[in-house]
Amino acid sequence: MSAGRSFRSLFMAASCAGAALGCYLVSLRVASERAALEGVETEIVMAQRNLRVLQTELGTRGRLAQLERWNASALSLSAPNADQFLAGSFELARLARPEPEAAIGAPVVLASAPAPASPVLQTTSDELDRAPAPTGTATASFAPRSMMSQASLKTSEKFSQGQSRPGTLINGTREVPANSAAKPSAAGGKSKDQPVTAAKPAKDRSLDMPGLAAAKSTVKAPAKVVLKAAPALAAKPEPKKSVDKPALVAAKPVTKPKQLAKADPLAPLPAKTSGPTRKEPASQR
Amino acid sequence: MLAVMHQRLMFGMLLFGGIVALIVLRILYLAAFGDHAGRKDALTSLIPDRGDIVDRDGQPLARTIDAWTIAIHPAKIIGSKLDVAHKLAAIMPERTAEQYFAMMKSGRTFFYLRRRAAPDVVAAVNALGEPGLAIQREPDRLYPQTSLAAQVIGYTDVDGRGVAGMERAYDQYLSDPATRGEPLTLSISNRFQQALEHELSAAMTTYSAIGAAGIIMDLHTGEILAMTSLPTLNPNKAGDGSPEARFNRATLGVYELGSTFKPFTVAMAMDSGVVKSFGQMYHCSKELNIYGHTIHDTHPFGRACSVAEIMKESSNIGTALIANQLGAKRQQAFLKKMGFLDPIKVEVRERGRTLTPGSRWGPFETLTVGFGHGIAVTPLHLATGYATLLNGGIYRPATLLKVDARHPVPKGRRVFTEDTSYKMRALLRLVVTQGTGRKADAPGYRIGGKTGTAEKLVGGHYTSAAVVTTFAGVFPMDEPRYVIVTMLDDPKGTAATYGFHTAGWNVAPVVSHTVSRIAPMLGVRPDKNREPNMAEVLSFVHQEPKE
Repeated sequence: MSAGRSFRSLFMAASCAGAALGCYLVSLRVASERAALEGVETEIVMAQRNLRVLQTELGTRGRLAQLERWNASALSLSAPNADQFLAGSFELARLARPEPEAAIGAPVVLASAPAPASPVLQTTSDELDRAPAPTGTATASFAPRSMMSQASLKTSEKFSQGQSRPGTLINGTREVPANSAAKPSAAGGKSKDQPVTAAKPAKDRSLDMPGLAAAKSTVKAPAKVVLKAAPALAAKPEPKKSVDKPALVAAKPVTKPKQLAKADPLAPLPAKTSGPTRKEPASQR
Repeated sequence: MLAVMHQRLMFGMLLFGGIVALIVLRILYLAAFGDHAGRKDALTSLIPDRGDIVDRDGQPLARTIDAWTIAIHPAKIIGSKLDVAHKLAAIMPERTAEQYFAMMKSGRTFFYLRRRAAPDVVAAVNALGEPGLAIQREPDRLYPQTSLAAQVIGYTDVDGRGVAGMERAYDQYLSDPATRGEPLTLSISNRFQQALEHELSAAMTTYSAIGAAGIIMDLHTGEILAMTSLPTLNPNKAGDGSPEARFNRATLGVYELGSTFKPFTVAMAMDSGVVKSFGQMYHCSKELNIYGHTIHDTHPFGRACSVAEIMKESSNIGTALIANQLGAKRQQAFLKKMGFLDPIKVEVRERGRTLTPGSRWGPFETLTVGFGHGIAVTPLHLATGYATLLNGGIYRPATLLKVDARHPVPKGRRVFTEDTSYKMRALLRLVVTQGTGRKADAPGYRIGGKTGTAEKLVGGHYTSAAVVTTFAGVFPMDEPRYVIVTMLDDPKGTAATYGFHTAGWNVAPVVSHTVSRIAPMLGVRPDKNREPNMAEVLSFVHQEPKE
């Protein structure tokens, strides 16, 4: 008991020393954390200072007077004028409208896209796909899609050459390609009349056929036209058909006149129309 | 023995107690004041030695940087002084080797060799390895945009004290440690300033003018968006600038600004009830003999003319007749309310004092003041006058500080009625569409304004050989927002202007070009279909029959 008492004060002193040491360690820890924090703050300030120096240098090198000199010597940019500002999205959209020249060739576009007289269009497209086959002259260019655009192009050329407008205006676009394509076979002024004569077997419908021109270049083509367009009239050109074997094979779709008759003349070019036509040239290609 | 042990124990306990007490006190100190313990103030904040000046978009116009300074302590030179002198002359050729050698032999202890030295020069001097050469960094003021808005920003002396412009006006703010951490934000914009300076400088060169001034101002707030005076100087080397370049023509120079005063006369007459309509007719003879003097017109009417026509053709005779009806007292009262009789109110100290007829302000002086002669004001006076005329009739002093929460728009005072202010739109637009200011028009931006060509007083006499041409305009005129004033001092005629040196030929195109550049940046969308109500004036303008 007495020994315990004698050591009691020693224990107390030791515990006090331990507590003090612990407190001091905490203090050291806090101080070191603070120092680390200050180090980071100092780094931030130094970074800001460097940033400021760099910004200043950049601003000085790229000062407006210098930019103006560069613009005068190299870029030559100028302020936009009043006409370059648009009031809104509507005006912006107007900028994307087709060129005014396209209006001249508008009938051509109409001929190839919609089908005001779908039966005729069907035959013509079919015809066109097949007609060049025997000659093989412009086969590649008569692919259904490319042919349409080519026809348009030729029409505009014709217009520019002063081709008779009334003729083209009858059925717009359809006659025009015929004219243009008729050129190689019929020379001079007669070429104008060529489509009409070629169209005779198919009556006025044939006038509308963009493929007529191609048909003209070979004798066989008009026969096909008749065959496909009007089965009733097929008797007339039939003798000629015999010459054109592949055309006859291709004439299988003749069983489709029903489709032709059913088709809505005001409907746009139906997918069906291009269906068969695509198949044929594919084989030709 | 036991007593000795007790004593030792007590001593040990006291020692430990003391240590513990010390530690506790230290902890308490850290807890209470730890934030400052060992902290280096200088590195924990980024406060420049002098505050920055920035434009309204925050782009720096003036900054303090740490520049390299090269100095020499002659007494500390350890090598051959002659060799050092030769080497220094090779690196810094602004002085000869003899001069460097003389400096070292002079007996003085210290010389600055170069301040704001380039890094390559510093490296070369350092490579000499001479302990007598001191290389140190010291704060220096840098103006990144060099001469841009030099007279507005101002510059500092070698000790870093502001001696001109805003550097001078806000020297206390920029150098006080409590405030210099926050940049001083000006109302001017670098982009508008550059456009204005470029266009004016081009015109000054083209027309061989001796000087030019320009101001662009927000007429509702009084903020100056751009202000320039040419020729200008580079504030980085302000000492190299000529006295002419240090002179701020926009705020310190006073000029008779001629016909640009006429709209004020018409507005005063309308407010006073003297002019009731733009169709009111006056007898505009070929010349007017009045009060013992004769007044002439550049384009004399020789017939009765309406107020609209007087403004359109800038008739001195017509305006004199209106001013005569108005009278000196009313004219002075209006000019006083517009601040034209006092020094211009703006932050910079370079402020011009208006020159007026003073005690000689009689009936004839009233007429001449009516058309802008006999009174000399600063271009900034004119800009504030046009702002007052077209912002609804309220005068507000111009300011070079950005208007924001800390610096709100000052309360103005009414000078003209709102109705008069509204009617002036069409009248000033007429001058640009059909009158003398046609070359100021920028398609779509609806500029309105007035030209002014005032003869200069040379040797006590007015001479038509030297003129001051001015255009004061406002845009867009259907809803006025900005004032632009441009002035050329003594422009000459050129072949392109057929020898004419009037405002319509030389200074009006500056306005057109400048507005075309800055209006889109100011948010003014060009619209060719918008105009002020021109029906108010067009019906009173005699249209010459077309041949």
